[in-house]
Amino acid sequence: MTARLAFDVAAGLAIFFACVMVVHRHPVKSVLALVVSFFALAVTYVLLSAPLIAAVQVIVYAGAILVLFLFVLMLLNVPAEVRQTPGRPIHHTLSAGAIVAFAAALLAALRSYGATAAPPSPAPSDPGDLAPLARLLFSDHLLSFEALSILLLAALVGAFTLARREGSP
Amino acid sequence: MTVALWVVPALPFAGFLLCLLLGSRLGKSFVSTVGAGSVGLATVAAWTRLVPYLTGDGTPVVEKVAPWIAAGNFSVDVSFRLDPLSALMVSFVTFVGFLIHVYSIGYMSHDETDAGYARYFSYLNLFLFAMLVLVLANNFLLLFVGWEGVGLCSYLLIGYYYEKEYAADAGKKAFIVNRIGDFGFLLGTFGVFGLFGTLDFDSVFSRAAADPARFAPGLTLVCLLLFVGAMGKSAQVPLHVWLPDAMAGPTPVSALIHAATMVTAGVYMVTRCNVLFRLAPEAMFAVAVVGGVTAIFAAVIAIAQNDIKKVLAYSTVSQLGYMFLACGVGAYVAGMFHVLTHAFFKACLFLGSGAVIHALGGEQDMRRMGGLGRRLPLTYTTFLVATLALAGIPPLAGFFSKDAILTGVFAAHRPILFGLGLVTAGLTAFYMFRLVSLTFAGDFRGTPEAAAHVHEAPPTMTLPLVILAFLSAIAGFLGLPEVFGEGANRIAAFLAPVFPRVGLAAAEPPAHSLPAATEWLLMGTSVAVAAVGILLAWTWYAKRAGRPAARVAASLPALYRLVAEKFRIDELYDVLFVRPFVWLARMLWKVVDVLIIDGVLNAGAFLVELTGDALRFLQTGNVRNYALTFLLGIVALLLIVLAG
Amino acid sequence: MTPNGIPLGDVLLASGALFTIGLAGALLRRNAISIFLAIELMMNAANLAVLGYAAALHSLEGQIVVFFVIAIAAAEAAVGLAIFVALFRHTETIDVNKINLLKW
Repeated sequence: MTARLAFDVAAGLAIFFACVMVVHRHPVKSVLALVVSFFALAVTYVLLSAPLIAAVQVIVYAGAILVLFLFVLMLLNVPAEVRQTPGRPIHHTLSAGAIVAFAAALLAALRSYGATAAPPSPAPSDPGDLAPLARLLFSDHLLSFEALSILLLAALVGAFTLARREGSP
Repeated sequence: MTVALWVVPALPFAGFLLCLLLGSRLGKSFVSTVGAGSVGLATVAAWTRLVPYLTGDGTPVVEKVAPWIAAGNFSVDVSFRLDPLSALMVSFVTFVGFLIHVYSIGYMSHDETDAGYARYFSYLNLFLFAMLVLVLANNFLLLFVGWEGVGLCSYLLIGYYYEKEYAADAGKKAFIVNRIGDFGFLLGTFGVFGLFGTLDFDSVFSRAAADPARFAPGLTLVCLLLFVGAMGKSAQVPLHVWLPDAMAGPTPVSALIHAATMVTAGVYMVTRCNVLFRLAPEAMFAVAVVGGVTAIFAAVIAIAQNDIKKVLAYSTVSQLGYMFLACGVGAYVAGMFHVLTHAFFKACLFLGSGAVIHALGGEQDMRRMGGLGRRLPLTYTTFLVATLALAGIPPLAGFFSKDAILTGVFAAHRPILFGLGLVTAGLTAFYMFRLVSLTFAGDFRGTPEAAAHVHEAPPTMTLPLVILAFLSAIAGFLGLPEVFGEGANRIAAFLAPVFPRVGLAAAEPPAHSLPAATEWLLMGTSVAVAAVGILLAWTWYAKRAGRPAARVAASLPALYRLVAEKFRIDELYDVLFVRPFVWLARMLWKVVDVLIIDGVLNAGAFLVELTGDALRFLQTGNVRNYALTFLLGIVALLLIVLAG
Repeated sequence: MTPNGIPLGDVLLASGALFTIGLAGALLRRNAISIFLAIELMMNAANLAVLGYAAALHSLEGQIVVFFVIAIAAAEAAVGLAIFVALFRHTETIDVNKINLLKW
């Protein structure tokens, strides 16, 4: 009962701050709102018996990625968005319509695909226990794990090359 | 050892290849030897088969060389046939062909380049190959191969002087008019196959003869179609227009192709199919009428022509008319007899005219000739013999063959056709002696330079003339009429196996039921008519230098002009056929091809361009628009998944 | 039903809501980096959904998936931002309306 309540609160916070992020015109304030939203999400992850993921979310996503975003925003000195005079009404109305349609469709899909069905599988020993997760990660998914490290290396090199100034070492 | 039949056409074909491929490089003497030699060898080869055959009983010999087409129910072989009819044709085709090849050596040698000379002989050899295939063929399809082949060679040789536009045009005209006839022939062949299920001569004719009642109704149409082919090939009215224009080719070509051999292919074909024609009396009547009308029509035109070769050309058309007249009334033997004698004297006449033209350095207009009898005695003598043969004076060959035809027409109870034939005989004698008088008698009317140039032809040219004149004289004795005794008509006896009994009583050749008196009367009449013609022509042109003729022409100027302009048939065809076709072609080009076809394609391309122009506005370069489009697609997919 | 008694429906609803919000942000913002940010939000929404199912189905595979997704998102963010930096140096703007070299 309490878990459910906690989840609803956390999810609600996440959604609220996501809206703030979308609406706010100043990009830095946007990012900060998203950070809060991610923290709220991390709370929901914990409630969903994924403490490791929650930790990773906070450390990597909120702590690294969004900070990187901040860095870039500062570097580029991006100004706040100003409302454009020739608005783009077609695009906006069409987008709004599409989004509403999408939301409706998504809702209908969720409803029809048995979101309330409870599959009969045995509960794990202790959902918060890391050992089974680690075991799974380093046995079945070992290849993916190693490949991931190479991917990160590639991303590193790529980012470095792309952002370099022309002709500088 | 017996020479296989296929060797006979193969030898000239080998000559064709050699002259074509090597001739221009190896020079005129090589071409002369190979070109004339191949035909000479073919003649020898043919006669080694003919001599024993002529003394035999005349059973047909069929030699199958190879299977050709075998497709379901339809099968045709390459097989050759030696029977009395093909033997007769081969005998003079090879021999006269050889003589003309020899003549050509002298005639063509000084004007032409090595390449042109080689080209001439290769075409001439190819022609002989095709002609021999035609006469030796044992089925309709192989005959058609030869038929087309001679048409092709006719085109090639008429257009030999292709740099002259009128020669090239004449070649095209010959080929196109021939083609019209060939179309009829092909349809007729389809009809034969449709009726009999085979194209082999023996099979077709035996089936037709065995069950006439069943086939007779369809045969009228088939025979008429086959006859259309003969009309094209043998220049009968209305498809005669190509033959006079064909005189644009070298004179030996005119002699060989347009007098002795190719044009008689139509007569040969009709005779070969006599079983079919005899079962279709209406078709035979049509043949006779066309032949008779052509005979007199061409003879009338001939009396007003001034070009020596044109006179001979119209004379050929007229004589071919006689041959078809004979076939049409059932006197096939007489027709073939005339084919034989005509080959000799007409070839002699053409070669003689060639000698005259050669002597005058290319002059062909008779108004500028005259008095050549004294300067060219040998040419004159041979020419005179051949003319008398053509005019029908006994005991020369033409008399017997022409008389046989007229007798046949009379015996078949066709008074109008007989009248036409008789009048034509008179006209023939008249225009031929007009020609002789204008050319050889009287005073020379040409230029002084030409007069100085006149000389008798070399032996390669005069020897064939002599031989042909001799044959024109004696060939008549092959077909003496019955009045001279039983079995006097050797050629009729020889050709008898070609005309088997056919079920219909009306289809028998006219029996020799004419009393002897009638026969003598007929003979006398034809001689008298010819004599009148000769006398009139000699008086008017030789004695009085053409003045009476000029007076007649002056008194009837419109009629004279009409006749001299060959009744303006070419002009009529131009209006009826040529102009509409040209208009149609232009229409197809300007409207159908450019406007419609190109238009449709261009419109398609234009539509694509238009669509592209419209669709490019999707490329805004704005990522958000792309994302939106993406989203719209996803929404659509979701809806589909949800609904379905 | 997840082990802690949270109905799956709730989780999915939240995930769906976050996704739609992220979508709206991606379509309606003019700033390239803001668009990127919205995309990151969408990815998180997806992660939430996966984790919800993982909990409901008592499976640890889902957590592995999310683990990898986060790692890859990091890599992608780095590269993407590098691109933006390079782009900005070129065009002096990150307004997507003005970056339209692919326009017809």
